[in-house]
Amino acid sequence: MPTAAEFDKTIKSGELIEAQSEMTPEYLRELKHTLVVSGDTELISAPAYYLAAKRAPSINAFMTGIAIIQDELAHAHIAYHILEELGEDQEKLIFSRDPKSFRYPYAFDVPLESWTELVVANGMYDQAGFCLLGDIHDKCSYGPWKRGLNKVMAEENFHLRNGRTWMKRISQAGGSAKDELQRAVDWMFPLSVEWFGLPDDLKMHSTQLDYRLKGLTNDQLRQWWLSTVVPYCEQIGIEVPAHKETKDGTDVWVLDYPFPCEFDAQEKRWDFRKPITWDDVLARWRARGPRNAEMVAMFQEEFHNFRKSHKNGN
Amino acid sequence: MPINLVDLGVIYDVRDDAGVVEVDLTFTAMGCPASEFILDDVRERLLREDGVREVRVNVVWNPPWSAERMTQAGRDALEAWGLAV
Repeated sequence: MPTAAEFDKTIKSGELIEAQSEMTPEYLRELKHTLVVSGDTELISAPAYYLAAKRAPSINAFMTGIAIIQDELAHAHIAYHILEELGEDQEKLIFSRDPKSFRYPYAFDVPLESWTELVVANGMYDQAGFCLLGDIHDKCSYGPWKRGLNKVMAEENFHLRNGRTWMKRISQAGGSAKDELQRAVDWMFPLSVEWFGLPDDLKMHSTQLDYRLKGLTNDQLRQWWLSTVVPYCEQIGIEVPAHKETKDGTDVWVLDYPFPCEFDAQEKRWDFRKPITWDDVLARWRARGPRNAEMVAMFQEEFHNFRKSHKNGN
Repeated sequence: MPINLVDLGVIYDVRDDAGVVEVDLTFTAMGCPASEFILDDVRERLLREDGVREVRVNVVWNPPWSAERMTQAGRDALEAWGLAV
């Protein structure tokens, strides 16, 4: 194991870490934490998307929805597989953890109940995933993960395309279809903005940045997301509560509502008149949302039932 | 995908009759989740060519596609991307 000073030098030189013997315990802990968040996010997107994929308007659309879910499960598997190589028990991680201890964005806890909501999730949530993973792919100091993400990024492009193509198609259809799309964007846009976490002025220090587990700050990632999603929505005639300003010669995306503010998960509605604090947001995240327990149960229950019946020799 | 449809070997025939272009193509699998995107792309791309007025795409399953139908350039592209072909 390297000394802290030796390790610091390796990280600063831009070299890749390839094996556990090259890590300090602190780096290993932070790497595992980052991988758990990534694996949990991909894993939970499967039951989150499945509820809506079942409402696909054609067999071909259903196949696309199911293919996206298959990709997400494969991406989860990559993260958990690396965790296993780093000494974690994959089975325990997936099947024996309390639902509330899963680490994924709150947005997935709010039910996606229609094909329209699924394609907005593909256009917005997958774009958030694309920014976060793209940054890790670009900057990550852990070689095996960085290389695994090559294929993940290519597949995420397919999800984005499904989201964007369908959002455009639904918007062009106009009428009640477009109204439904606008309603979905109204509640899903601010949830995606929240996805990137605390703003930089409240987050004093990031160990993930120090260790080059990621390269961009929360606000930089949020800006990247806004710079792709806002122009696209405007282009297809969908309103979003954000606009572009030019400050000191650079483009900055500015939100048109107090950030953060109050969200009613049951009604899927934001109250832009009620600003809240980040402590309130963190409390909502910790309590988890409507679908957390049910989604985790979806894969945990049958695993344990199967185990039990096989042990009994049935 | 990092590979074009011709190198993937899914374009079986292209006929041009005074600006009406007919394409026979197949998919690598009947359950191809990207089939609608591919059809949209083929139509949209051909209509950008001068003199193309109309595009008709026939999806055919015979002969069935197999990896043998890929060109060397196609194989190289997929291998560079980490796929064994």
